[in-house]
Amino acid sequence: MSDQDVKKIEVGDGAAIPSPDDKGLVSAWWIALIGTLILVIALPLVQPDPYLKILKFIPDGILITFQVTIMSILLAIVIGLLTGLGRISENRLINLAASLYVEVVRGIPLLVQLFYIYFALGRLVRVPDIVAAVVAMAVCYGAYMGEVIRAGIKSIDFGQTEASLSLGFNRRQTMAYVILPQAWRTILPPVGNEFIALLKDTSLVSILAVSDILRRGREFAAESFNYFETYTMIALIYLLITLILSKLISIMEHRLSHYERR
Amino acid sequence: MLKKVLLALLCAAVFANPAWAKKTIVFATDATWPPMEFVNADKQVVGYAIDFMTAAGKEAGFTPVFKNTAWDGIFAGLAAGKYDAIVSSVSITPERQRAMSFSAPYFTVRQALIVNKNSAATSLADLKGKKVGGQIGTTGYFAIKAAEGVQAKSYDEIGLAMEDLNVGRIAAVVCDDPVAANYALMQYKDNLKISAIIETGKVESYGVPVKKGSEELLELINRGIAAVKAKGIDLELKKKWIGQ
Repeated sequence: MSDQDVKKIEVGDGAAIPSPDDKGLVSAWWIALIGTLILVIALPLVQPDPYLKILKFIPDGILITFQVTIMSILLAIVIGLLTGLGRISENRLINLAASLYVEVVRGIPLLVQLFYIYFALGRLVRVPDIVAAVVAMAVCYGAYMGEVIRAGIKSIDFGQTEASLSLGFNRRQTMAYVILPQAWRTILPPVGNEFIALLKDTSLVSILAVSDILRRGREFAAESFNYFETYTMIALIYLLITLILSKLISIMEHRLSHYERR
Repeated sequence: MLKKVLLALLCAAVFANPAWAKKTIVFATDATWPPMEFVNADKQVVGYAIDFMTAAGKEAGFTPVFKNTAWDGIFAGLAAGKYDAIVSSVSITPERQRAMSFSAPYFTVRQALIVNKNSAATSLADLKGKKVGGQIGTTGYFAIKAAEGVQAKSYDEIGLAMEDLNVGRIAAVVCDDPVAANYALMQYKDNLKISAIIETGKVESYGVPVKKGSEELLELINRGIAAVKAKGIDLELKKKWIGQ
């Protein structure tokens, strides 16, 4: 496969993914990680009250944040796949439906969508708070994911489709056996990026009284009045999580491109 | 030169005028707590506490300005000097007294338990294993957290907790009784009811928190509160906003 086929899509507002070529020990990523780690470990040791208390108060919030993030991203990928395929579909009705969904969702702020699904639709459909949060996040991110998947599919040279069709595959087989297996390599890195963006955006569900990291921190601050210390710790925990995730995604991206170069 | 003289004269006129010398006190209020303080249909902050402080200002000689502020972080804003005082149904607690100075109490409350009409629960003990909601950082929420076996759920605004109770996502809400009455007897009267008053064994009163060390300000506010009580204005306001 030629270098021309290695295409990258940049979508979303996730953390900066460290360049896989950056082997130097002194990189922005390393400085940020070590700085964050030192603060997260040193602050509770030096000043147990309140930092250690905060650290003990938050863990179940981290669990909820991950739970909401992972469930949302899985649902968003399913919605995104359907939307992405719908957007390139030659069936005009499906195409229109998918495009309409993307237009509507991308035009409404995530916070408003959360309120809408939780409080407005909550009157009609009674679901637990976490389910409402996951559905809202997935509906929002599904639209972005749809664009990522559409761009990934579009990045595969049309010659592939032509070749596949001329070999006697039908359109569905072409998509399933030829296009998607190649497109996923282009799609995966931006999906990872979306994952980080989504993890950060789950902090918005704290507004729905879901006990995520931010809500736990706010509860602690409201009771102890340690606003500075609490929000410092919350910011550090989010930063630590996204730094680690961005490195993992960078490694994954590197593996994929390495595979392609051979 | 002429301009400077004029400016100096203007300044002198402004400061010499007793009407201008009247002190302005900026109060932060989380106007999501009917009937104590809330935003009415005309987008104005109104309520019992607002009328009370306005009357206190008339008595003690200050002009209150009310600044609508989110509850979560309202105390941080006071510490940062974004306003002079808070009048937002703040119950006086020892923890809060350590962080801020309080005026004399201006209203006494109890914590009420609100449940759906068909619920049989009459205490927090009846709600073991269930989710009970309250507003973040309020005495109502602290009462839920203190109850054993109950899942405490904190909301940004009490109205959101009431809505969640209304659609059945949580089993009960705990908040100050005048607010509970407003929601259970008016807004959601078909669906919700006050099932009990939670006995904490302590008298709970609203006070006006100010930054520690603002003695002059505190004295001014206290003078106003005392005058309003002495004249019985608070009883009129109770009739106006709360009913009984």
